[in-house]
Amino acid sequence: MLAFGLAAHAEDNARIGYVKTLSGDANIVSGETSSAARVGSPLKLGDRIITGANASLGLILKDNTVLSLGPDTEISVDDYLYAPAREALRLDARILRGTLHYISGVIARLKPDAVTVRTPTGTIGVRGTRFVVKVAD
Amino acid sequence: MRIAMNSARRAFLSRSAAGLIGALLLAGCAPQSYLVLLENPGGGNGKVLVTGASGRQAGVERAGDALALNADGPRPLVVDADQVQRDFGAALAAQPPLPESFLLYFEGGERLTAESLARLPDILAAIARRPAADVSIIGHTDTMGNASANEGLGLARAEAVRKLLESEGAKPLEMNATSHGERNPLIPTPDETQEPRNRRVEVTVR
Repeated sequence: MLAFGLAAHAEDNARIGYVKTLSGDANIVSGETSSAARVGSPLKLGDRIITGANASLGLILKDNTVLSLGPDTEISVDDYLYAPAREALRLDARILRGTLHYISGVIARLKPDAVTVRTPTGTIGVRGTRFVVKVAD
Repeated sequence: MRIAMNSARRAFLSRSAAGLIGALLLAGCAPQSYLVLLENPGGGNGKVLVTGASGRQAGVERAGDALALNADGPRPLVVDADQVQRDFGAALAAQPPLPESFLLYFEGGERLTAESLARLPDILAAIARRPAADVSIIGHTDTMGNASANEGLGLARAEAVRKLLESEGAKPLEMNATSHGERNPLIPTPDETQEPRNRRVEVTVR
């Protein structure tokens, strides 16, 4: 039980991706801490990414999923498992407001029903593809 | 009777007009929340299926097709390209360069083939092109020898490539070497089979 707890904790703190592009101001909220995003900022499970009024930001996750955000956007990655050897594959992201451009990575290719993007009004099931989604305030 | 019918008809017409105006508003102005399927970077497209809070479902499977994401569930929607550009131009422009993958092959042991050695400059250039590259290196083997020895050999190959890239000056944010051993062959073979195409390392530059 203790071992399981430690393993889960280690996985929670793992880097699941990095910020690759940034224009303007954006923040990464990790638990109670908010910090200014930079090109090269790591992303952890559960982090919330928030872009400012004239900002945009692009990031790539470990499985090559590409996410890019327009201005006044807020997203989070709530579940992420990428261990193809163990067949542990899952990506669940959420867009609370703003605009998001999504390009599938390896998880969607290996296990098409393992990827979901949630919006305030529904759940987008992704079958290996690229799309844009807008969520108005 | 006649009067009742007329009033039912008037109510019907009035509902239709409201519906028509609603449709025009959606097509002409920015809908509140919506999704557009786009063509994949390599061409073609997949599909998406949206499930609303009420359980209502709708999907799109052609690039350019859209869905309104309404509170009562998803609905088919027509959106013109200008609207998509206005709403999503900034998000599309923020897309980072797509990840690039390279396959390197081995003579046996941890020695790269001459051809693969000659590809290292391409990998270094891909890392250097990106302002914040992270790199994963996965080692693989053929099925000669036992599985646990091949786990080790796959890792030794991945580590050898990592050291080569480092010695050539690669400084990505992160460079992870791992092994899939003989579990993930490029060319499926029976056990105890020499297969040069399975003796490889896959380098992904993000």
